[in-house]
Amino acid sequence: MIVLETDWSLMTPEISLAALALLVFTIDFMTGIHGKKPFIGRLAVLSLLVTAVLVILLNPGGGSIGDLFLVDPFARLFKLIILIGVAMVIMISMYYLDRNPEVYQGEYYSIMMFAALGAMLMVSSADLITLFIGLEILSISSYVLAGFKKHHRHSTEAALKYVILGGTASAFILYGMSFLYGLTGSTSLVEIGQAMPVLFQQYPALVGMSFLFMLVGFGFKISIVPFHMWAPDVYQGSPTPVTAFLTVVSKLAGFAIVIRIFTLAFGFEGIHGEWSFILAVMAAITMITGNFIALTQNNVKRLMAYSGIAQAGYLLVPFAVVLGDFSSTVIVFYSVAYLMMTLGAFAVITLVTEDSGMTDISSFAGLYYRSPYMAIAMTVFLVSLGGLPLTAGFIGKVNIFILAAAGDMLWLAIIMILTSVVSFYYYFGFIKQMFMTEPRPNDKELFVPGGLLTVVTVSLAVVLLLGIAPNLLLDIFNQYNWMPSFN
Amino acid sequence: MVSITLFLALAAILFCIGLYGVLTRRHLVIVLASIELMLNAVNINLVAFSAIGPFANITGQVFTLFVITVAAAEAAVALAILIALYRNRNSIDVLKHDLLRW
Repeated sequence: MIVLETDWSLMTPEISLAALALLVFTIDFMTGIHGKKPFIGRLAVLSLLVTAVLVILLNPGGGSIGDLFLVDPFARLFKLIILIGVAMVIMISMYYLDRNPEVYQGEYYSIMMFAALGAMLMVSSADLITLFIGLEILSISSYVLAGFKKHHRHSTEAALKYVILGGTASAFILYGMSFLYGLTGSTSLVEIGQAMPVLFQQYPALVGMSFLFMLVGFGFKISIVPFHMWAPDVYQGSPTPVTAFLTVVSKLAGFAIVIRIFTLAFGFEGIHGEWSFILAVMAAITMITGNFIALTQNNVKRLMAYSGIAQAGYLLVPFAVVLGDFSSTVIVFYSVAYLMMTLGAFAVITLVTEDSGMTDISSFAGLYYRSPYMAIAMTVFLVSLGGLPLTAGFIGKVNIFILAAAGDMLWLAIIMILTSVVSFYYYFGFIKQMFMTEPRPNDKELFVPGGLLTVVTVSLAVVLLLGIAPNLLLDIFNQYNWMPSFN
Repeated sequence: MVSITLFLALAAILFCIGLYGVLTRRHLVIVLASIELMLNAVNINLVAFSAIGPFANITGQVFTLFVITVAAAEAAVALAILIALYRNRNSIDVLKHDLLRW
Protein backbone atom coordinates (compact mmCIF):
# COMPACT_ATOMS: atom_id res chain seq x y z
CA MET A 1 0.00 0.00 0.00
CA ILE A 2 1.39 3.33 -1.06
CA VAL A 3 -0.59 5.23 1.55
CA LEU A 4 0.84 3.49 4.61
CA GLU A 5 4.42 2.90 3.64
CA THR A 6 5.19 6.21 2.01
CA ASP A 7 7.46 8.89 3.36
CA TRP A 8 4.98 11.76 3.05
CA SER A 9 7.58 14.22 4.39
CA LEU A 10 8.82 14.42 0.79
CA MET A 11 5.77 16.58 0.10
CA THR A 12 6.27 18.97 3.03
CA PRO A 13 7.00 22.07 0.89
CA GLU A 14 3.88 21.50 -1.24
CA ILE A 15 1.65 20.81 1.76
CA SER A 16 2.87 23.87 3.63
CA LEU A 17 2.47 26.09 0.55
CA ALA A 18 -1.10 24.82 0.12
CA ALA A 19 -1.85 25.53 3.79
CA LEU A 20 -0.32 29.01 3.56
CA ALA A 21 -2.23 29.78 0.36
CA LEU A 22 -5.50 28.79 2.06
CA LEU A 23 -4.51 30.95 5.03
CA VAL A 24 -3.93 33.95 2.75
CA PHE A 25 -7.27 33.21 1.08
CA THR A 26 -9.06 33.14 4.46
CA ILE A 27 -7.42 36.31 5.75
CA ASP A 28 -8.52 37.98 2.54
CA PHE A 29 -12.17 37.08 3.24
CA MET A 30 -11.92 38.22 6.84
CA THR A 31 -10.69 41.68 5.85
CA GLY A 32 -13.44 42.56 3.37
CA ILE A 33 -13.54 42.38 -0.40
CA HIS A 34 -12.62 45.90 -1.40
CA GLY A 35 -9.68 48.16 -0.79
CA LYS A 36 -5.93 47.92 -0.96
CA LYS A 37 -4.29 45.05 0.86
CA PRO A 38 -0.51 45.34 0.67
CA PHE A 39 -0.14 43.27 3.86
CA ILE A 40 -1.60 40.23 2.08
CA GLY A 41 0.99 40.67 -0.65
CA ARG A 42 3.77 40.76 1.96
CA LEU A 43 2.35 37.66 3.62
CA ALA A 44 2.31 35.89 0.24
CA VAL A 45 5.95 36.77 -0.46
CA LEU A 46 6.89 35.58 3.04
CA SER A 47 5.03 32.28 2.54
CA LEU A 48 6.76 31.64 -0.79
CA LEU A 49 10.17 32.35 0.73
CA VAL A 50 9.43 30.04 3.68
CA THR A 51 8.48 27.31 1.21
CA ALA A 52 11.69 27.96 -0.75
CA VAL A 53 13.71 27.49 2.46
CA LEU A 54 11.85 24.23 3.10
CA VAL A 55 12.69 23.05 -0.42
CA ILE A 56 16.38 23.77 0.22
CA LEU A 57 16.59 22.27 3.71
CA LEU A 58 14.40 19.17 3.51
CA ASN A 59 15.17 15.88 1.76
CA PRO A 60 18.63 16.65 0.39
CA GLY A 61 18.96 12.97 -0.48
CA GLY A 62 15.81 12.95 -2.59
CA GLY A 63 13.37 10.10 -2.88
CA SER A 64 10.07 9.19 -4.42
CA ILE A 65 6.52 8.34 -3.47
CA GLY A 66 5.78 5.14 -5.38
CA ASP A 67 6.98 6.49 -8.76
CA LEU A 68 4.24 9.12 -8.58
CA PHE A 69 6.12 11.98 -7.05
CA LEU A 70 9.87 12.40 -7.47
CA VAL A 71 12.16 14.60 -5.41
CA ASP A 72 15.47 14.82 -7.25
CA PRO A 73 17.89 17.74 -7.88
CA PHE A 74 16.05 18.58 -11.13
CA ALA A 75 12.71 18.95 -9.35
CA ARG A 76 14.19 20.87 -6.41
CA LEU A 77 16.06 23.36 -8.60
CA PHE A 78 12.96 24.05 -10.71
CA LYS A 79 10.87 24.42 -7.54
CA LEU A 80 13.29 27.05 -6.29
CA ILE A 81 13.14 28.84 -9.65
CA ILE A 82 9.33 28.78 -9.53
CA LEU A 83 9.07 29.98 -5.91
CA ILE A 84 11.58 32.80 -6.32
CA GLY A 85 9.98 33.75 -9.63
CA VAL A 86 6.48 33.94 -8.14
CA ALA A 87 7.77 35.88 -5.11
CA MET A 88 9.35 38.46 -7.43
CA VAL A 89 6.21 38.61 -9.58
CA ILE A 90 4.16 39.30 -6.44
CA MET A 91 6.52 42.12 -5.48
CA ILE A 92 5.98 43.63 -8.94
CA SER A 93 2.22 43.04 -8.56
CA MET A 94 2.08 44.94 -5.28
CA TYR A 95 3.12 48.12 -7.10
CA TYR A 96 0.74 47.38 -9.98
CA LEU A 97 -2.25 46.70 -7.70
CA ASP A 98 -1.47 49.83 -5.72
CA ARG A 99 -1.94 51.80 -8.95
CA ASN A 100 -5.09 49.87 -10.00
CA PRO A 101 -7.43 49.87 -6.99
CA GLU A 102 -10.34 48.50 -9.05
CA VAL A 103 -8.69 45.05 -9.16
CA TYR A 104 -9.65 42.72 -6.29
CA GLN A 105 -6.45 42.33 -4.36
CA GLY A 106 -6.56 39.46 -1.89
CA GLU A 107 -7.72 36.78 -4.32
CA TYR A 108 -4.99 37.83 -6.72
CA TYR A 109 -2.25 36.83 -4.30
CA SER A 110 -3.81 33.54 -3.25
CA ILE A 111 -4.46 32.51 -6.87
CA MET A 112 -0.84 33.31 -7.65
CA MET A 113 0.21 31.05 -4.77
CA PHE A 114 -2.02 28.24 -6.02
CA ALA A 115 -0.44 28.62 -9.45
CA ALA A 116 2.98 28.19 -7.79
CA LEU A 117 1.67 25.10 -6.03
CA GLY A 118 0.47 23.61 -9.33
CA ALA A 119 3.83 24.29 -10.95
CA MET A 120 5.66 22.66 -8.01
CA LEU A 121 3.50 19.53 -8.22
CA MET A 122 4.08 19.43 -11.95
CA VAL A 123 7.88 19.51 -11.87
CA SER A 124 7.95 16.77 -9.22
CA SER A 125 5.50 14.42 -10.87
CA ALA A 126 6.47 11.17 -12.57
CA ASP A 127 2.96 9.97 -13.24
CA LEU A 128 0.49 11.02 -15.91
CA ILE A 129 -2.33 11.73 -13.44
CA THR A 130 -0.23 13.77 -10.99
CA LEU A 131 1.30 15.62 -13.90
CA PHE A 132 -2.09 16.44 -15.40
CA ILE A 133 -3.46 17.70 -12.07
CA GLY A 134 -0.42 19.94 -11.51
CA LEU A 135 -0.62 21.25 -15.06
CA GLU A 136 -4.30 22.10 -14.73
CA ILE A 137 -3.90 23.80 -11.33
CA LEU A 138 -1.29 26.01 -12.97
CA SER A 139 -3.30 26.55 -16.18
CA ILE A 140 -6.66 27.33 -14.57
CA SER A 141 -5.01 29.78 -12.17
CA SER A 142 -3.30 31.40 -15.16
CA TYR A 143 -6.61 31.78 -17.04
CA VAL A 144 -8.11 33.56 -14.05
CA LEU A 145 -5.05 35.79 -13.60
CA ALA A 146 -5.02 36.77 -17.29
CA GLY A 147 -8.58 38.09 -16.96
CA PHE A 148 -8.10 39.77 -13.61
CA LYS A 149 -8.91 43.28 -14.83
CA LYS A 150 -12.46 42.21 -15.46
CA HIS A 151 -13.78 45.63 -16.45
CA HIS A 152 -11.10 45.96 -19.06
CA ARG A 153 -11.83 44.78 -22.61
CA HIS A 154 -8.30 43.69 -23.50
CA SER A 155 -7.85 41.67 -20.33
CA THR A 156 -11.08 39.66 -20.69
CA GLU A 157 -10.45 39.05 -24.37
CA ALA A 158 -6.94 37.80 -23.58
CA ALA A 159 -8.31 35.50 -20.87
CA LEU A 160 -10.93 34.05 -23.20
CA LYS A 161 -8.43 33.35 -25.96
CA TYR A 162 -6.16 31.75 -23.39
CA VAL A 163 -8.86 29.53 -21.88
CA ILE A 164 -10.11 28.28 -25.26
CA LEU A 165 -6.70 27.51 -26.71
CA GLY A 166 -5.42 26.23 -23.34
CA GLY A 167 -8.36 23.85 -23.04
CA THR A 168 -7.76 22.57 -26.55
CA ALA A 169 -4.07 22.02 -25.75
CA SER A 170 -5.01 20.11 -22.60
CA ALA A 171 -7.29 17.90 -24.67
CA PHE A 172 -4.42 17.17 -27.07
CA ILE A 173 -2.08 16.28 -24.18
CA LEU A 174 -4.72 13.99 -22.66
CA TYR A 175 -5.46 12.27 -25.95
CA GLY A 176 -1.76 11.48 -26.33
CA MET A 177 -1.59 10.29 -22.72
CA SER A 178 -4.61 7.99 -23.18
CA PHE A 179 -2.71 6.01 -25.83
CA LEU A 180 0.36 5.74 -23.62
CA TYR A 181 -1.85 4.34 -20.87
CA GLY A 182 -3.63 1.99 -23.24
CA LEU A 183 -0.42 0.53 -24.63
CA THR A 184 1.27 -0.01 -21.25
CA GLY A 185 -1.58 -0.33 -18.76
CA SER A 186 0.21 2.08 -16.45
CA THR A 187 0.26 5.81 -15.84
CA SER A 188 3.71 5.83 -14.26
CA LEU A 189 6.29 7.46 -16.51
CA VAL A 190 8.97 5.09 -15.20
CA GLU A 191 6.97 2.00 -16.16
CA ILE A 192 6.02 3.51 -19.51
CA GLY A 193 9.70 4.20 -20.15
CA GLN A 194 10.61 0.59 -19.33
CA ALA A 195 7.97 -0.75 -21.71
CA MET A 196 8.82 1.73 -24.46
CA PRO A 197 11.67 -0.07 -26.32
CA VAL A 198 9.45 -3.11 -26.97
CA LEU A 199 6.37 -1.01 -27.66
CA PHE A 200 8.18 1.10 -30.20
CA GLN A 201 9.09 -2.06 -32.11
CA GLN A 202 5.51 -3.35 -32.00
CA TYR A 203 3.42 -0.23 -32.53
CA PRO A 204 5.61 2.52 -34.00
CA ALA A 205 2.58 4.34 -35.44
CA LEU A 206 0.62 4.51 -32.18
CA VAL A 207 3.67 5.55 -30.14
CA GLY A 208 4.52 8.20 -32.73
CA MET A 209 0.96 9.49 -32.70
CA SER A 210 0.83 9.76 -28.93
CA PHE A 211 4.21 11.55 -28.99
CA LEU A 212 2.98 14.03 -31.60
CA PHE A 213 -0.26 14.79 -29.74
CA MET A 214 1.67 15.47 -26.55
CA LEU A 215 4.20 17.58 -28.45
CA VAL A 216 1.39 19.74 -29.87
CA GLY A 217 -0.20 20.20 -26.44
CA PHE A 218 3.00 20.94 -24.57
CA GLY A 219 4.30 23.01 -27.48
CA PHE A 220 1.30 25.25 -26.93
CA LYS A 221 1.99 25.52 -23.19
CA ILE A 222 5.60 26.60 -23.71
CA SER A 223 4.69 28.66 -26.82
CA ILE A 224 7.02 27.24 -29.45
CA VAL A 225 6.31 27.90 -33.12
CA PRO A 226 3.94 26.85 -34.78
CA PHE A 227 1.84 26.76 -31.60
CA HIS A 228 2.70 30.29 -30.42
CA MET A 229 -0.13 32.38 -31.88
CA TRP A 230 -1.92 32.79 -28.54
CA ALA A 231 1.11 34.15 -26.72
CA PRO A 232 1.37 37.72 -28.08
CA ASP A 233 -2.38 38.31 -27.71
CA VAL A 234 -2.56 36.95 -24.18
CA TYR A 235 0.64 38.69 -23.07
CA GLN A 236 -0.53 42.03 -24.42
CA GLY A 237 -3.99 41.87 -22.88
CA SER A 238 -3.08 40.54 -19.42
CA PRO A 239 -2.12 42.82 -16.53
CA THR A 240 1.65 43.44 -16.80
CA PRO A 241 2.77 41.41 -13.72
CA VAL A 242 0.67 38.49 -14.99
CA THR A 243 2.47 38.78 -18.31
CA ALA A 244 5.73 38.47 -16.37
CA PHE A 245 4.32 35.41 -14.59
CA LEU A 246 3.28 33.74 -17.85
CA THR A 247 6.55 34.52 -19.62
CA VAL A 248 8.75 33.20 -16.83
CA VAL A 249 7.13 30.86 -14.33
CA SER A 250 4.53 29.23 -16.57
CA LYS A 251 6.98 28.74 -19.41
CA LEU A 252 9.86 27.37 -17.29
CA ALA A 253 7.54 24.97 -15.44
CA GLY A 254 6.28 23.81 -18.83
CA PHE A 255 9.83 23.24 -20.00
CA ALA A 256 10.66 21.27 -16.86
CA ILE A 257 7.77 18.91 -17.41
CA VAL A 258 8.46 18.50 -21.13
CA ILE A 259 12.02 17.50 -20.30
CA ARG A 260 10.84 15.15 -17.56
CA ILE A 261 8.19 13.40 -19.64
CA PHE A 262 10.26 13.04 -22.80
CA THR A 263 13.27 11.83 -20.81
CA LEU A 264 11.40 9.25 -18.77
CA ALA A 265 8.89 8.03 -21.33
CA PHE A 266 10.58 8.62 -24.69
CA GLY A 267 14.19 8.87 -23.54
CA PHE A 268 15.83 5.60 -24.61
CA GLU A 269 18.48 5.65 -27.32
CA GLY A 270 16.59 4.27 -30.30
CA ILE A 271 13.68 6.67 -30.12
CA HIS A 272 15.57 9.84 -29.17
CA GLY A 273 17.10 9.87 -32.64
CA GLU A 274 13.59 9.72 -34.12
CA TRP A 275 12.29 12.85 -32.45
CA SER A 276 15.41 14.89 -31.78
CA PHE A 277 15.41 16.14 -35.37
CA ILE A 278 11.74 17.24 -35.16
CA LEU A 279 12.56 19.19 -32.00
CA ALA A 280 15.69 20.70 -33.55
CA VAL A 281 13.68 21.95 -36.54
CA MET A 282 11.02 23.36 -34.22
CA ALA A 283 13.71 25.11 -32.17
CA ALA A 284 15.14 26.64 -35.35
CA ILE A 285 11.73 27.86 -36.59
CA THR A 286 10.94 29.19 -33.13
CA MET A 287 14.14 31.23 -32.92
CA ILE A 288 13.72 32.62 -36.45
CA THR A 289 10.01 33.47 -36.17
CA GLY A 290 10.22 34.95 -32.67
CA ASN A 291 13.17 37.19 -33.43
CA PHE A 292 12.02 38.39 -36.84
CA ILE A 293 8.42 39.19 -35.86
CA ALA A 294 9.72 41.02 -32.77
CA LEU A 295 11.49 43.45 -35.12
CA THR A 296 8.18 44.92 -36.26
CA GLN A 297 6.58 45.41 -32.83
CA ASN A 298 5.90 48.77 -31.21
CA ASN A 299 4.02 47.51 -28.17
CA VAL A 300 6.39 46.67 -25.32
CA LYS A 301 4.41 43.69 -24.01
CA ARG A 302 3.96 42.22 -27.50
CA LEU A 303 7.65 42.69 -28.16
CA MET A 304 8.52 40.89 -24.92
CA ALA A 305 6.11 38.10 -25.93
CA TYR A 306 7.97 37.51 -29.19
CA SER A 307 11.28 37.83 -27.38
CA GLY A 308 10.00 35.17 -24.96
CA ILE A 309 9.10 32.91 -27.89
CA ALA A 310 12.64 33.30 -29.24
CA GLN A 311 14.07 32.50 -25.78
CA ALA A 312 11.93 29.33 -25.71
CA GLY A 313 13.68 28.38 -28.95
CA TYR A 314 17.12 28.78 -27.32
CA LEU A 315 15.99 26.64 -24.37
CA LEU A 316 14.78 23.93 -26.73
CA VAL A 317 18.20 23.55 -28.39
CA PRO A 318 20.09 21.60 -25.65
CA PHE A 319 17.06 19.38 -25.16
CA ALA A 320 16.92 18.54 -28.87
CA VAL A 321 20.64 17.76 -29.06
CA VAL A 322 21.12 15.33 -26.22
CA LEU A 323 19.50 14.18 -22.97
CA GLY A 324 21.64 13.80 -19.90
CA ASP A 325 23.31 15.47 -16.97
CA PHE A 326 25.27 18.03 -18.98
CA SER A 327 22.34 19.19 -21.09
CA SER A 328 20.26 19.49 -17.91
CA THR A 329 22.99 21.65 -16.36
CA VAL A 330 22.91 23.91 -19.43
CA ILE A 331 19.11 24.13 -19.40
CA VAL A 332 18.85 24.88 -15.68
CA PHE A 333 21.60 27.51 -15.88
CA TYR A 334 19.86 29.26 -18.76
CA SER A 335 16.54 29.00 -16.88
CA VAL A 336 18.05 30.83 -13.88
CA ALA A 337 19.50 33.50 -16.17
CA TYR A 338 16.20 33.80 -18.07
CA LEU A 339 14.24 34.12 -14.81
CA MET A 340 16.39 36.96 -13.53
CA MET A 341 16.81 38.96 -16.73
CA THR A 342 13.17 38.70 -17.79
CA LEU A 343 11.70 39.50 -14.37
CA GLY A 344 14.10 42.43 -13.98
CA ALA A 345 13.07 43.76 -17.38
CA PHE A 346 9.39 43.30 -16.52
CA ALA A 347 9.83 45.20 -13.24
CA VAL A 348 11.14 48.21 -15.20
CA ILE A 349 8.45 47.77 -17.88
CA THR A 350 5.70 47.73 -15.22
CA LEU A 351 7.11 50.89 -13.65
CA VAL A 352 7.37 52.78 -16.94
CA THR A 353 4.11 51.66 -18.56
CA GLU A 354 2.07 52.28 -15.39
CA ASP A 355 3.61 55.72 -15.06
CA SER A 356 2.87 56.75 -18.63
CA GLY A 357 -0.41 54.84 -18.92
CA MET A 358 0.48 53.38 -22.31
CA THR A 359 2.37 50.31 -23.47
CA ASP A 360 4.01 51.80 -26.54
CA ILE A 361 7.78 51.59 -26.75
CA SER A 362 7.98 55.39 -26.83
CA SER A 363 6.97 55.44 -23.16
CA PHE A 364 10.64 54.61 -22.51
CA ALA A 365 11.73 57.93 -24.05
CA GLY A 366 14.45 59.56 -21.98
CA LEU A 367 14.25 57.10 -19.10
CA TYR A 368 17.94 57.78 -18.41
CA TYR A 369 17.17 61.40 -17.54
CA ARG A 370 14.23 60.43 -15.35
CA SER A 371 15.75 57.54 -13.43
CA PRO A 372 19.37 56.67 -14.33
CA TYR A 373 19.49 53.52 -12.19
CA MET A 374 16.40 52.00 -13.84
CA ALA A 375 17.70 52.84 -17.32
CA ILE A 376 21.09 51.25 -16.66
CA ALA A 377 19.53 48.16 -15.05
CA MET A 378 17.15 47.77 -18.01
CA THR A 379 20.11 48.06 -20.39
CA VAL A 380 21.89 45.23 -18.57
CA PHE A 381 18.77 43.03 -18.73
CA LEU A 382 18.28 43.69 -22.45
CA VAL A 383 21.95 43.10 -23.21
CA SER A 384 21.73 39.85 -21.28
CA LEU A 385 18.58 38.80 -23.18
CA GLY A 386 20.42 39.55 -26.40
CA GLY A 387 23.46 37.60 -25.16
CA LEU A 388 26.39 40.01 -24.98
CA PRO A 389 29.42 39.27 -22.72
CA LEU A 390 29.64 40.00 -18.98
CA THR A 391 26.03 38.93 -18.46
CA ALA A 392 24.38 35.67 -17.42
CA GLY A 393 22.58 35.44 -20.77
CA PHE A 394 25.91 35.33 -22.59
CA ILE A 395 27.26 32.45 -20.51
CA GLY A 396 24.00 30.55 -20.92
CA LYS A 397 24.06 30.97 -24.69
CA VAL A 398 27.73 30.01 -24.95
CA ASN A 399 26.98 26.80 -23.06
CA ILE A 400 24.07 26.02 -25.38
CA PHE A 401 26.25 26.80 -28.42
CA ILE A 402 29.06 24.49 -27.25
CA LEU A 403 26.59 21.71 -26.52
CA ALA A 404 24.94 22.00 -29.94
CA ALA A 405 28.26 22.23 -31.79
CA ALA A 406 29.65 19.21 -29.92
CA GLY A 407 26.48 17.21 -30.55
CA ASP A 408 26.59 17.29 -34.36
CA MET A 409 24.01 20.05 -34.66
CA LEU A 410 26.27 22.86 -35.81
CA TRP A 411 23.58 24.22 -38.15
CA LEU A 412 21.31 24.75 -35.15
CA ALA A 413 24.09 26.54 -33.26
CA ILE A 414 24.69 28.82 -36.25
CA ILE A 415 20.99 29.67 -36.56
CA MET A 416 21.06 30.52 -32.86
CA ILE A 417 23.97 32.95 -33.27
CA LEU A 418 22.45 34.59 -36.36
CA THR A 419 19.03 35.09 -34.79
CA SER A 420 20.69 36.48 -31.64
CA VAL A 421 22.34 39.10 -33.82
CA VAL A 422 18.90 39.96 -35.22
CA SER A 423 17.57 40.29 -31.68
CA PHE A 424 20.13 43.01 -30.86
CA TYR A 425 18.25 45.28 -33.23
CA TYR A 426 15.01 45.34 -31.27
CA TYR A 427 16.68 45.28 -27.86
CA PHE A 428 18.75 48.29 -28.90
CA GLY A 429 15.49 49.97 -29.93
CA PHE A 430 14.72 50.18 -26.21
CA ILE A 431 18.21 51.43 -25.38
CA LYS A 432 17.97 54.12 -28.05
CA GLN A 433 14.68 55.32 -26.56
CA MET A 434 16.10 55.40 -23.05
CA PHE A 435 19.38 57.18 -23.71
CA MET A 436 19.13 59.10 -26.98
CA THR A 437 15.59 60.47 -26.93
CA GLU A 438 14.50 63.46 -24.89
CA PRO A 439 11.82 62.79 -22.25
CA ARG A 440 8.34 63.91 -23.20
CA PRO A 441 7.44 67.38 -21.85
CA ASN A 442 5.20 66.24 -18.98
CA ASP A 443 7.44 63.48 -17.69
CA LYS A 444 8.99 64.15 -14.32
CA GLU A 445 11.60 62.24 -12.39
CA LEU A 446 10.42 58.69 -11.73
CA PHE A 447 9.78 57.58 -8.17
CA VAL A 448 10.81 53.95 -7.70
CA PRO A 449 8.94 52.14 -4.90
CA GLY A 450 10.84 49.79 -2.58
CA GLY A 451 9.41 46.49 -3.88
CA LEU A 452 10.35 47.18 -7.48
CA LEU A 453 13.74 48.47 -6.42
CA THR A 454 14.40 45.20 -4.59
CA VAL A 455 13.37 43.09 -7.60
CA VAL A 456 15.50 45.12 -9.99
CA THR A 457 18.54 45.13 -7.67
CA VAL A 458 18.39 41.40 -6.97
CA SER A 459 18.00 40.54 -10.68
CA LEU A 460 20.76 42.96 -11.66
CA ALA A 461 23.12 41.48 -9.06
CA VAL A 462 22.43 37.90 -10.16
CA VAL A 463 22.68 38.68 -13.89
CA LEU A 464 26.05 40.43 -13.46
CA LEU A 465 27.41 37.95 -10.91
CA LEU A 466 26.60 34.95 -13.11
CA GLY A 467 28.02 36.81 -16.08
CA ILE A 468 31.36 37.40 -14.35
CA ALA A 469 31.62 34.26 -12.21
CA PRO A 470 29.32 31.60 -13.74
CA ASN A 471 31.27 28.86 -11.95
CA LEU A 472 29.61 29.80 -8.69
CA LEU A 473 26.53 28.04 -10.03
CA LEU A 474 28.00 25.73 -12.67
CA ASP A 475 30.30 24.02 -10.16
CA ILE A 476 27.32 23.14 -7.98
CA PHE A 477 25.25 22.02 -10.97
CA ASN A 478 28.00 19.81 -12.37
CA GLN A 479 28.01 17.70 -9.21
CA TYR A 480 24.32 16.90 -9.52
CA ASN A 481 22.94 13.69 -10.82
CA TRP A 482 19.85 15.50 -12.13
CA MET A 483 17.48 12.58 -12.58
CA PRO A 484 17.82 9.01 -11.32
CA SER A 485 17.18 7.75 -14.86
CA PHE A 486 20.33 9.43 -16.25
CA ASN A 487 22.65 6.75 -14.87
CA MET B 1 -17.21 -9.05 -27.09
CA VAL B 2 -16.97 -5.81 -29.01
CA SER B 3 -13.55 -5.05 -30.44
CA ILE B 4 -11.65 -2.15 -28.85
CA THR B 5 -11.06 -0.70 -32.31
CA LEU B 6 -14.67 0.47 -32.48
CA PHE B 7 -14.33 2.43 -29.26
CA LEU B 8 -11.06 3.98 -30.37
CA ALA B 9 -12.63 4.94 -33.70
CA LEU B 10 -15.60 6.51 -31.92
CA ALA B 11 -13.21 8.50 -29.71
CA ALA B 12 -11.15 9.60 -32.72
CA ILE B 13 -14.29 10.79 -34.52
CA LEU B 14 -15.52 12.67 -31.44
CA PHE B 15 -12.11 14.29 -31.03
CA CYS B 16 -12.12 15.46 -34.65
CA ILE B 17 -15.68 16.82 -34.39
CA GLY B 18 -14.65 18.71 -31.27
CA LEU B 19 -11.53 20.13 -32.91
CA TYR B 20 -13.55 21.14 -35.98
CA GLY B 21 -16.04 22.89 -33.71
CA VAL B 22 -13.30 24.81 -31.86
CA LEU B 23 -11.75 25.95 -35.12
CA THR B 24 -14.84 26.92 -37.09
CA ARG B 25 -17.79 27.89 -34.87
CA ARG B 26 -18.41 31.56 -34.15
CA HIS B 27 -20.56 31.14 -31.08
CA LEU B 28 -18.31 31.05 -28.01
CA VAL B 29 -20.57 28.75 -25.95
CA ILE B 30 -20.48 26.17 -28.75
CA VAL B 31 -16.69 26.53 -28.88
CA LEU B 32 -16.55 25.68 -25.17
CA ALA B 33 -18.91 22.73 -25.71
CA SER B 34 -16.59 21.50 -28.46
CA ILE B 35 -13.66 21.49 -26.02
CA GLU B 36 -15.76 19.34 -23.68
CA LEU B 37 -16.37 17.00 -26.62
CA MET B 38 -12.63 16.61 -27.13
CA LEU B 39 -12.16 15.84 -23.43
CA ASN B 40 -14.95 13.26 -23.58
CA ALA B 41 -13.22 11.57 -26.50
CA VAL B 42 -10.26 11.16 -24.15
CA ASN B 43 -12.57 9.67 -21.51
CA ILE B 44 -13.95 7.10 -23.95
CA ASN B 45 -10.41 6.14 -24.88
CA LEU B 46 -9.37 5.74 -21.25
CA VAL B 47 -12.42 3.75 -20.22
CA ALA B 48 -12.16 1.48 -23.27
CA PHE B 49 -8.51 0.74 -22.55
CA SER B 50 -9.35 0.25 -18.89
CA ALA B 51 -12.11 -2.27 -19.60
CA ILE B 52 -11.02 -4.26 -22.67
CA GLY B 53 -7.54 -2.98 -23.48
CA PRO B 54 -4.43 -5.17 -23.79
CA PHE B 55 -3.53 -4.32 -20.17
CA ALA B 56 -6.97 -3.80 -18.64
CA ASN B 57 -6.85 -2.38 -15.11
CA ILE B 58 -8.65 0.17 -12.97
CA THR B 59 -6.14 3.05 -13.38
CA GLY B 60 -7.78 4.27 -16.57
CA GLN B 61 -11.13 4.79 -14.85
CA VAL B 62 -9.45 6.69 -12.03
CA PHE B 63 -7.79 8.90 -14.64
CA THR B 64 -11.22 9.47 -16.23
CA LEU B 65 -12.63 10.70 -12.91
CA PHE B 66 -9.81 13.22 -12.67
CA VAL B 67 -10.35 14.36 -16.25
CA ILE B 68 -14.08 14.89 -15.63
CA THR B 69 -13.39 16.89 -12.45
CA VAL B 70 -10.78 19.10 -14.06
CA ALA B 71 -12.97 19.61 -17.15
CA ALA B 72 -15.76 20.85 -14.88
CA ALA B 73 -13.40 23.31 -13.17
CA GLU B 74 -12.14 24.53 -16.51
CA ALA B 75 -15.67 24.98 -17.86
CA ALA B 76 -16.62 26.99 -14.76
CA VAL B 77 -13.68 29.37 -15.23
CA ALA B 78 -14.30 29.60 -18.98
CA LEU B 79 -17.98 30.52 -18.51
CA ALA B 80 -17.07 33.10 -15.86
CA ILE B 81 -14.62 34.72 -18.27
CA LEU B 82 -17.28 34.55 -21.00
CA ILE B 83 -19.74 36.46 -18.83
CA ALA B 84 -17.12 39.10 -17.99
CA LEU B 85 -16.41 39.48 -21.69
CA TYR B 86 -20.11 39.71 -22.55
CA ARG B 87 -20.59 42.49 -19.99
CA ASN B 88 -17.76 44.46 -21.54
CA ARG B 89 -18.58 43.92 -25.20
CA ASN B 90 -22.23 42.79 -25.43
CA SER B 91 -21.34 40.02 -27.84
CA ILE B 92 -20.14 36.44 -27.75
CA ASP B 93 -19.34 36.21 -31.44
CA VAL B 94 -15.75 35.07 -31.92
CA LEU B 95 -15.14 37.32 -34.91
CA LYS B 96 -15.99 40.49 -33.02
CA HIS B 97 -13.28 39.96 -30.42
CA ASP B 98 -10.34 41.19 -32.39
CA LEU B 99 -8.83 43.98 -30.28
CA LEU B 100 -5.57 42.07 -29.94
CA ARG B 101 -3.92 41.44 -33.27
CA TRP B 102 -0.32 41.33 -34.50
